Formats: sequence, C-alpha cells, structure tokens
Amino acid sequence: MTVRALQQISTGRNGVGSFILQCKKMDFHYCDWAGSSKGMNGFIKSLLPKFAASNTQVEFAVSPRPSKHPVIIAQYINGREKAICVRNMEPYEILKKAELLRDANGEKNRRVTKPVQSINESVRGVWSPYHGNGLKV
Amino acid sequence: MEAMVTRPAVTCCRRVTFSGPTSSRLVLSNTATTLPSGTRQKSTAARTRGALNIPPHDSFLNPNSSAADRKARPTTGQIIYNPPSSAASVFHTPFIFLPKEDPRRRANLGSELFAASTTIHYPSNNKNTTTTTNTNQPQSQTTTTTTSTNPNQPSAAAAATDFPSIEGEPRYRARHHLTKADIEEMRRLRASDPVGNSVQALSARFRCSKLFVMMCCQAPPEHRDRVQAELDAAKARWGPRRAAARGERRARMGMLFNGEL
Amino acid sequence: MKRLRIDRWTGQLLLARSGASPASTPRAAALRSAALSRCTAVRSQSTGTVRQIPKEDDYYDGTDHTRFPPLEQLPPKATSLPSPPPERALQSAKLAALHARLSLPERLPLQTLARALVDASADENPQFNNTNLAFVGQSLINYHVAEWIMCRYPRLPMGILYAAMKGYAGPTSLHHVARSWGVEHAAVPGGEVDPGLLQFSMHKPGDAIIGFGYRRAEADGMKKHKWRHGMSSRVVFDDDFGEVVDSEEAKDELQLRADTEYGNEYTRSLAEKAFATCARAVTGAIYAHAGRDRAKAFIKSHVLSRTLDLSRLFAFKKPTRELSMLCAREDFEPPVARLLSETGRLSRTPVYVVGIFSGKDKLGEAAGASLEHARTKAAMNALKSWYLYSPGEGVRVPSDVLAEDAAPWEPAYIDMGEIIGH
Repeated sequence: MTVRALQQISTGRNGVGSFILQCKKMDFHYCDWAGSSKGMNGFIKSLLPKFAASNTQVEFAVSPRPSKHPVIIAQYINGREKAICVRNMEPYEILKKAELLRDANGEKNRRVTKPVQSINESVRGVWSPYHGNGLKV
Repeated sequence: MEAMVTRPAVTCCRRVTFSGPTSSRLVLSNTATTLPSGTRQKSTAARTRGALNIPPHDSFLNPNSSAADRKARPTTGQIIYNPPSSAASVFHTPFIFLPKEDPRRRANLGSELFAASTTIHYPSNNKNTTTTTNTNQPQSQTTTTTTSTNPNQPSAAAAATDFPSIEGEPRYRARHHLTKADIEEMRRLRASDPVGNSVQALSARFRCSKLFVMMCCQAPPEHRDRVQAELDAAKARWGPRRAAARGERRARMGMLFNGEL
Repeated sequence: MKRLRIDRWTGQLLLARSGASPASTPRAAALRSAALSRCTAVRSQSTGTVRQIPKEDDYYDGTDHTRFPPLEQLPPKATSLPSPPPERALQSAKLAALHARLSLPERLPLQTLARALVDASADENPQFNNTNLAFVGQSLINYHVAEWIMCRYPRLPMGILYAAMKGYAGPTSLHHVARSWGVEHAAVPGGEVDPGLLQFSMHKPGDAIIGFGYRRAEADGMKKHKWRHGMSSRVVFDDDFGEVVDSEEAKDELQLRADTEYGNEYTRSLAEKAFATCARAVTGAIYAHAGRDRAKAFIKSHVLSRTLDLSRLFAFKKPTRELSMLCAREDFEPPVARLLSETGRLSRTPVYVVGIFSGKDKLGEAAGASLEHARTKAAMNALKSWYLYSPGEGVRVPSDVLAEDAAPWEPAYIDMGEIIGH
C-alpha cells in the first residue's frame, strides 16, 4: 500500500561539476638511428619537456623503438588508445599531433550531427498533441 | 464520460488553407475539409518556405507597443509567457501542494502561473471542431468555451467542473453514522448467512461503502473456501488465450505501478 | 634468419631494475618472502626518512647506466611487502598524473594519495591501507549527500531517501566515479607494483570497516526467511543506505574460479568495492590535508553533480487510495478524476488524458490507453509531485553556515511525514 523504492544509479557527465582530462597516458617512441625519427628526436629534446610540464594530468613515457617509425600512442580513460605515426614530421608538427591526442576523448571518430547532446530533460518538455493552446490564427 | 473532445492543436495544424497568394498567414477554415484532397500542396521550395513563414506567437511580441509596431520584441525585463504544449512535469509542484511559507505561494502566483501552466487551454473559437457523441450530456458543450482569447493575459485555469468526471459520484460518503451495535449486528448477519448477506447487500442495508463492510467483518472460512473453489473452477475453464490476456493485463498494471509504462 | 644484435637493444627491454630483477623468478620471490615472514620487515609510514637505497651490484646485465639510467630503483625487500613502500610514491608518474587530473590541492602529498589506493584486501595493516581514510570519506560523502537531499527534496519518503542516497553515494555509483578518474588497478597487489595503481586482492574481501551500522542478531533469519525489515529499524540498526550490515559469506566456488575465469561476479563485486573505497579514501584524504571546504567542494563536484532522476525511484501499490488519504490529511477537497481529452475511443489505440482535481486545482494528469490506466497514472503523478516538492535549486544546506562570513541559518522546510507509514 505504501510507496516503494526502485534502485537507480546516478550517471555522471564529464565537465558537469568537474572536468577530467580523458587522455591519461602518452607514449613517445623513437629510434636513434632511423631518419624518419629525426623530427621526433628533436621534439623530445626541445619541445617535450615543456609540453609535459604543462600537461601534468597526463603520464608521459619516452622509450626507444629501434628500426621502427616514431609513433605517439595515447591511452584514454575509456580504455581505448589512439596511435599516430609521426614519421618524417617536423617537431612542431609532432607537437600538433600530441595536442590532438591530448585533447581527444578516446572515442572513435564519428560525425557529430547534433551540436548538443544532453541527458537533461528539456525545459519545455516533450511536445504533446493533447496539451497547449494550439496555434491560433 | 461520453463527450468526445477532439485534439485542438492537431485540428489547428491540419485544417489550414491559404487565404490568398499575397498573405502568408494561416487561417482556420470554418468548414471541416477532408484531409488529403483538400490541402493544396506547394510545388516549389520557395512557396513552401513562404507558407511556413508564420509570424511569431503573440507572447513574443511586445504588448505595450503600438499596433503599427507589432514586430517589436519584448525587452529583457519582460517575462515571456508561453506555456509549453507538453505534459506537466512532476517536478512542477501544483499550487495547492506548496507549503504555506513557500515564497511562490506568498507571491500569489497561483491563479496566474501555476494553474495556467499545468492546465489545458482550448481555443474558444473551435466549437465547430468539437463533436459530441452523446447528446444526453449537455456538459460536453461547455468544455471548450472557457479560456479568454488574449494570450497575453493568461487567464485562470479552465474550471475543473468543465471536464467530465470519469468516476461518478461516490455512492456513499463517509458519514460515520454506524455505532458499535450496528457493526456487531453486521458481523452477526455476515456470519449467519454469508450468501444472503453478501457484502453488497450489507452495504446497501447499512448505507455504508463495501470497503467498510469488508473492513468490519469477514466471512466464515468455509464460505471463503467455497467462493475460492468456484473461482478456481471458472479459471480452469479459461482457454490459453484468455489466460494469457489476463496475465498480460496484470503484468501491464505492475509495469504501470513501477512507472515503466 | 637475421642475427639478433644484442648491442642494439637499448632502453626499457633490457633495463635492469636492480631490486626487481632477482625476484622476478617465482622461486626467488618465494624464498624472499619466506625469509621475510620470519623476520618481519620494519616499515615506516613517515615520509621524512627516505632511506638511501644501497645499490646492489651483484646483478649486472650489461646496460650502459650512464646512457640509460634506470627508471626506478626498488628499495630492498620491496617485493616481499604487501603494498608499495610510501617513499616510492614520489617516483610514480601515474600517481602524479592522477593527482593533477583530479586537481587535488597541493597540500595533499603523493604519499597519502598512494595510500588511498591500497585496499584493505591488499594490505591488512591498517597503518598502510586506506581503511581509515575511507571511513572518514564515507562519513563525509554520506553526510553531504544526505543533507543535500533532505533540504532539496524535503518530502521524500524514507525508502526513497535511502534509494536516492544509494543512487548518489552507494558503492556502485562511487565505483563509476573512481573509474571515471582513470584509476587503474594492479593485477596482483604487491610491494613492487606501481604505487599509482589501485591494489586489491581478487581472492579475499578484506575486513575493512567503512561505515556505521550494527550487525543484527537476526540478520541470518532476515535473509533466509525474508523476515520483515521495517523502515524505522533501518534508521537505527542498518547502514547509511538502509541495508542490513552483513558479513561477507564466502562464495567458495566463485572464489575458486577467480583465477581461472576472465572475471566472475565475485571478482567484479570485489573490484567494485575496492574502487568505491578508493573514491571514499581520496575524499577522506582531501579532508585530512586540505580541510572541510575543499572536501565539500570535491564531493559536490564529483558526487552531487551527477544526474539521478528521482521521479523514477517511485513504485506504488494503491496510488489512488494514497492520494485520497493525502487529500484527507491535508484538508484538500477529495480528488476527482476528470477526462481532459481523448481520442480514438472506438479504435484499437485510444488515448485518454485524465487529470486529477482537488476542487479547482489540478494535482496531476497523465495519458493512458484506458481510462483506468490514465487515472492510476495521473494519481501516481500527483503523488510524485507531492513527494518531489522542492524549495528551489539554490536551497541552503546546514553545512553552508560553516563557511566564513556566511549568513545565519534559516530553518529548512521539514515535512510532517509520509502519507502512510510503514
């Protein structure tokens, strides 16, 4: 006879209340010998310290990968990872790629057709044919 | 109960014709046109765009501006009153449910905002769209003639009595007229002859509700067993379709109570 | 086949972690732990005395250490400890990244954050696991959530209040919170793992006490015979979510399969518990190091900002009767269901819109496929809008008064109670 409770779990939205950067780790792989890593080596020497210092939310790892093209691998909170091969790129191009990976949210790339997606109910509610004044003309 | 009230919004949207090529305003036709054949289709995109170029709702215009300057938008200090055509949310507390010390109640907005936002307004000039299936109920004629025509002056809610009750009047109002001796008598009668003194018979005899009779007395166990056996026998005669239909109906009711329907 | 050129192999692969490598063989680890269990290792919680680790020169793999310095040197006997030593927290990149990702205050040291990541099932020593931090955090989270719900929705029945509490601050919800922080967990806890990983055991639940509540004497009977579990006794005896405090019964067969399967429901429940405890412990750590206001802001931004539709928590049994009792109690006119509009009465899919009126005021309305459905639903909506009354979004809570130069407290709205008691 009384009111009973059903259990529900609250859902969070990143950026509502707090924002968590979704990129959690970035691996920079280079090769000492190969020419395609020339820009990467320059990036690691000149730009990476500053980049890492300004992005303390991300864990950085630099490791050699001999006889392979240089690559940046970013790991995300949702468990996915994204890799960009940066062979023959200039250091500043690599910085752009690193920023791209840092700002991504880890989801698969997909076309965004609706600019706003929300789980909140709209202020005016769902339109109902049984309510309202109708259109008076 | 028998009144057929058609949906005003849909009526407005559907029964439109175009009064002339120079005017883009939509007018409500007074005659009920048949739908597909009576509506003229626009053959070009420009004509469709022009036809859909409806002026804004009156509430978005400045009521204080002159008639010539009707396009003037309201200033930022004004409240645009344009209640949504949607079902009321349960998070909008009805005015009567607000506590005494709530500022919304103190501001005395009840007659203006709250009653209007949760209540259907029917356009007053669509009498011809209202069809009645039962002429015995004159009440249905008045269902659509309540609200004022000026949308800038939100009127009070349509009177509640304009809508037909689906429950009917309760047969017995609680009058608290039965004494303890009456209840003892009721119990004795029920125990002595449960078939003759059924719940309905006792309710009519003591002029109280059936619920009250069931609260007071209980049939002897053999009578309950017999009734239960009759019920089981009736259920045993059900075929698979009827049994499934009953089960589904019960499941639907359960879903309804859990808010899933 | 090409010859492997060992001299070209540089970097991490051949990088010797001087402490870790000898113990990487299971036999060596077993020997070490056996030796250590006899003479228990002295662990120090204070971070001021970081001992210089003597370098072990007995193992050398040919790496040029001047060119490739070792990433991290494990302290001796670290592999035999149940959780990483606190001084290793400063060297963990994961931990520093987590600290920055959560925008934790500077005053919260990495060692405390590392401790918040050690579950009681990984390290039983309460001086090194997160039990006490989690207890503080649990109390704080439940306090703030409860006061917010109570002030924001003062008419919620007790059962719904418990469900809402659990929806915001329950273990499942906090587990999602900790996951959304990007906390990863170690496969197996131990002294040699990265301190930035959450450490808990997949085999035993641990005996951490995080929360108030009594162990009822009749708890077994309640579970076995489904004894009545009234609402009033939950306030006194049970935990903050109105659930019976129960000791974990050993699910033997699931426990045995914990390693063999990819993960079963037992390990999942342990993981959920460990993640929730971690989220509570981080809150407790913020309170301990940065104070009340920072902890409150943290709870507000990570727990209370989540979305929970309270209107979906309600399930009714006899809504029409409950509504008429409400109207009788509040001296409203008795509710009457009225047909507002309808369509297709003679069709296969009719729609009726029914409103429930008390006098001239409409209490609720709903659309349904039959008159009875619509009427019941309208009564449920009316009851929901009674129960979900809110004084406003910016309602003050009692802990707002604790802030500096706060306005004096005005009494919150307290409802007289539920319509029908339990």
